[in-house]
This record gives sequence, structure tokens and C-alpha cells, in this order.
Amino acid sequence: MAGKVYDAIVIGSGISGGWAAKELAENGMETLVLEAGRSIIPERDYVEHVPTWGVKFRGLGDRKASLRDQPIQQADEWNAKFFVNDRDNPYTTDADKPYLWLRGRQVGGRSIMWGRQSYRWSDLDFEANLKNGIAVDWPIRYKDIEPWYDHVEDFIGVSGQAEGLPQLPDGKFLPPMEMNCAELTMKEVVARRFAPERVLTIGRTAVLTQEHRGRAACHYCGPCYRGCITRSYFSSVNSTLPAAQLTGKLTIRPFSVVHSLIFDSKTRKISGVRVIDGQSREAMEFHGRIVFLCASTIESARILFNSATTEFPDGLANSSGVLGQNLMDHIYHGGAEGHLSGHEDKMPLGNRPNGIYMPRFRNVKEKHPDFLRGYGFQGDARREGWARGNDLLGFGADFKHMLRAPGPWKFSFDGFGECLPNPKNHMELNKEKLQVGRERVGAFQRYGSDCCRDAGSGGRDRYCYRQNSFHPWRVYP
Amino acid sequence: MNRRKALKLLVSAAVLPALTPEAFSLFRGVHAQIAAVPGLKTLNPHQNATVTTIAELIIPQTDTPGEKATKVNEFIDLILSEWYDDADTARFLSGLADVDLRSQNSFGKKFVDCSPAQQNQIMKALDDEAIAAVKAESAEKNTNNGPASTPSNFFRMMKKLTLVGYYTSEVGFEDELHKSIIPAGHAGCVQIPAEVAK
Repeated sequence: MAGKVYDAIVIGSGISGGWAAKELAENGMETLVLEAGRSIIPERDYVEHVPTWGVKFRGLGDRKASLRDQPIQQADEWNAKFFVNDRDNPYTTDADKPYLWLRGRQVGGRSIMWGRQSYRWSDLDFEANLKNGIAVDWPIRYKDIEPWYDHVEDFIGVSGQAEGLPQLPDGKFLPPMEMNCAELTMKEVVARRFAPERVLTIGRTAVLTQEHRGRAACHYCGPCYRGCITRSYFSSVNSTLPAAQLTGKLTIRPFSVVHSLIFDSKTRKISGVRVIDGQSREAMEFHGRIVFLCASTIESARILFNSATTEFPDGLANSSGVLGQNLMDHIYHGGAEGHLSGHEDKMPLGNRPNGIYMPRFRNVKEKHPDFLRGYGFQGDARREGWARGNDLLGFGADFKHMLRAPGPWKFSFDGFGECLPNPKNHMELNKEKLQVGRERVGAFQRYGSDCCRDAGSGGRDRYCYRQNSFHPWRVYP
Repeated sequence: MNRRKALKLLVSAAVLPALTPEAFSLFRGVHAQIAAVPGLKTLNPHQNATVTTIAELIIPQTDTPGEKATKVNEFIDLILSEWYDDADTARFLSGLADVDLRSQNSFGKKFVDCSPAQQNQIMKALDDEAIAAVKAESAEKNTNNGPASTPSNFFRMMKKLTLVGYYTSEVGFEDELHKSIIPAGHAGCVQIPAEVAK
């Protein structure tokens, strides 16, 4: 291995790393993927078919362990193993400005547990900064990226319904999942009262509704975020990494925590990466002609900060000084829910891993007087289950019999909106942790590292992410 | 001989001036059986018997097995031992003791020794109070009554744990709700199947 120069090195194996690996390997390049976490073997690690009686707390979760080890992560009793341990991966924020940093550290990264909703941007989005006079204009427009949307959707498989909306371009869809009867009623009501601005459509999701490129159609068991043995939803493990492996050009190295990039001052290029082995703590280097940084928003910035040299003391690719700034998040959790009458004799069959979508309708044609841009709603209708009995009067045979049948239809809408870029929303390395780290890291001091090997922490970095409060636009109901 | 049969016999025996030897030995047998349940960490044999009895009254055996067949008592013991905070467990156990206090006051005996009619009467009062607590709480604030939240009223705790324990068991999921991990099919809507609607 010593002296070997790969055609390409990809840092991270999540959604972007998996795609980079596939494209590079399929184009004949000898590619090394470095993943900080462990390997995932679907047959061993996926848990979507483990029943409630197969987990200790019957799905309530190991509450005390979660409070202790994963107070930030949003895992359930089955998939907690796909999220990091927060105690071993600390970061700090200002006390009044919390930020929930959800992380998966394994081959596949967060693509294992992602939400799978897949929407295209339109020129409404690409032109927004220019038109609003905010931040930097996007250097591309929809026509530039459209063939790449096609390329990706054609490979991963996205099911959805074409609607012909200018603000939400249609894709190369597999057949849509079905709306249930309550959702169809809501669709009619929306069409009657709010057309043409507001539209209700089925969610566009990276879950297969028919066999596609060797992956099986969804079998509607429900919890995609625990894995999928039929590989019916898109993740690196289910889709791009196997394709890259087929070329014979791919090497995946798990437990490879990337410390920094190696800048060759003679060639003025990146010549490789510095890695700490997550198990042995051994420091090593890998060399490649090109390096793709796909380690997630915050980790990628951390690696660039860590790659500072005497020539670039503030980190690589940071002559502008904006590295780590303008961190973005969703506006989330604004919405409404209620019961819907009718269709009492009907129920959905199976556990559809998808809901409905109401695309953005604000500031599409007419300008709203008080705020910029817009938001969409995800949601669904479902019949309440046995848990409704918790707060209902009754017990005994009649009560049990009542809970056997589905409860009322419940409809919920959850808003999803964008933030505006703000340089105050930023991350930086934690200099205090750096001191602690240096005492412990030994071999890595020579890199001027903040990257600390905490014995027993499984090869994780210690650094700080500091973030100022978001300054969102208001959400209007 | 299961507990229900034994209880029935005990009920009929209760009208007699004294327990018949047969009923008496059954009574002891049932308690010995419960006391012998291995692995309980929090509930003592009497508490376990009370929890088992209340849970079976909430979800009795009908055309499908009830709470007892699914060992809800063991699930409740696990939650009390490893999931609840100590204060919640203490509140639960004190609520459980209060059930005996009520039965003593009304009928002069422990809850498990009451007749089904007497037990139902106590359960009805507990349930009414629990639902009143639900209403008071939701009037006060928009509470999250999700499966992972812990109610403050004893009977609400008890009912919730019984329902979770029962419906997340294999019997509850498959025999009672007629569900399967991998559904037989999928569709936006179907007529509610007869075995669920009946």
C-alpha cells in the first residue's frame, strides 16, 4: 500500500460520497473511499423487520441510555446504533443557541436513516439570492442542473406524480405511491378552495414502487430508517456503493478518520489525506491525484480548518474567510393537525413510507408583503391505532374490542422552510479542546492537530461547533 | 388451573361462611405461582398479583388471549425497574398501594381478593379519575401524550403500560390486531377487513 497513488480519494461514504465513488469508479478511476465509521452488512445490521417484541423496551426506547448517550440524536430503539454517541462526540454551542447535530458514522453515513423525500429546485430557488439581493447569486440555473437531476433520479429511482408546477419541476418518476381516501378528500378540498396556488400531491420519495436497476420494489413494511434488506430505498449501501464495487476499481476503508488534507506546496495541489485509524489509533497517509471532500457540511469544513499550513494559517480554501459560515438548517415543526370525518369503513393497507406534499405557494406568483420566499408542507392522513386508548375512558372486553378496529382519521401537516444565509451562523474549531487533545494524541501533534484520540471513543474527533441563533423569516399559517 | 378459574371459584366460595378446602388450596396455589415468577426486579409477589389482575381487567381474555398470556406484568416490572425515573416508579407503587387502600375501605379486603364486581367498581372509579386528569392536563396545556411520555396519574400509567405491553406483544400484534411485519399487500385504502371490524 505504501507509495500507492489512487486516481481519486473520496472522504465520506454518505449520499455525496457514495455518488462520487460510483461516478469515479465507473469512469475507470482507481478510487479509495475513506469512512470514519464501521462497515455495514445489511444482512447483519438492518433491523427493519425486528418486531416490537424483539426489542427490550418494546419500541419505547432505552430512555436512560438515550438521555445519557444520545440526548441530541433522534434515534429509535432499533436504529440507535446508526447514530453517534453524543458523549463521545461532544461539541458546544452558546447556551441559549442550541443546535441539534445529527450524525451517522458508518459506511453509508446518514443515507441509512435519511428522510428520502426528493424534490428538485426550480429557477425560483436559483434566482432567489439575485432577486432578493441576498448573499451570492447561484452560478447555475435550472437548465444547467436538469440533466444531472435526470441522471441521479434515473439511477436511484424516485417515485412521484408529475404536476407541471413551475416552482417544483417534475422528475423522471417511477409510478407514484397511492394516496389514501382521506388524503384524496383533502386534495379535492384544497383544489376547490385554494386552486391554483395550492396543490396537494403524493410525496416524491427515493423509494422504489417497481423493480429498478436490480433493486426490488418496496414491500411496505414501513421503517426505512432501520435499513431495508430488499434495498428498495436509496442509500449508498443499497445503491451507489454496490455499483461502484462492481467496477473492481473501488476500495472502501472503514474506521478511517480523516484528519486533514495534504497540500503539496510545489505542485500547489492536494496530494493526499492524513488519517487516524479509528481502531488502532495509528496515523497514516493516503495519496491520490484528486480528493473529494464528502464528509458532511460540518466535518468537511472541519477538515479544511485542520488542513491549515504556514502559508494558509486559517485553513485551506479559506482565503475569503467564510469557511464555516452561513451554516443552514430547516425551519421545521410548524404545522397543524386534526381529525377528518368520513371513510370510517376504510383503512390503508400496508405501511406506506411516504406522505403527501403541498409545494411552496408563497411568493410564487404574487409577492407576500411581509416576508421572502416560502415553505412547503409534508404530512399524511392515517387512522389512529390502539394508543388512542391511553387517554380514553374504559377497560375490559368492550374497550379491547373497540381498540381492535382503527380509530378516527387524523390529518397532519408539517411545514418545511428555508433559512436565509447568515455569516453569524457558523462553526469553528474549539481551541480549549485542542489543548486537551494535544495531551492525548501523541503522534498527531506534528500536524498541529485539534484532532484528538480519546481512548475508547472509537476514533472520533473532538472539536467544537459554535453557532449563533438563526434569523428566520416568520412562518405564516 | 388458571387464575381466572380460581377466582371464579373463590367468588362462589366467598358467599360461604368459610373457604372450602379445595378453594383454599387453589387460592394458595395461585399466589405461589405468581410469587414464583422469576426475574421480577421491582414488584413483590403481592404487587405483581395486583398489577396482573388490573392489567387483565383492562385487557381481558376474549376471543383472543388477554394481558396475562402476554406477560404484561413482566413488561411493567421492566419499565418500573429500568425505564421510569425513581420518582415515577415510587408514584406508581404508591398508586398501587392506594388500590388496596380503596378496596380495604370499601370491601374490607385486598384488591386481588375482591369479587370481579367489586374490582370493576374500583376500576371504574380509578378510570374516571384518570380521564378527569387527562382532561385537566390537556386543558392546562397542550400535552404530548405520545407513547414515551409518563403520565402523572397512577391509573393512566397503569393503563398505558398495559396497552403498550399488550399491543406490542406477538399476541397483541398478530392475533388481536391482525397485523404482520411484512404486510400482505398495499393500497391507499381498502374496506376494513372483517376480522378487524368484527
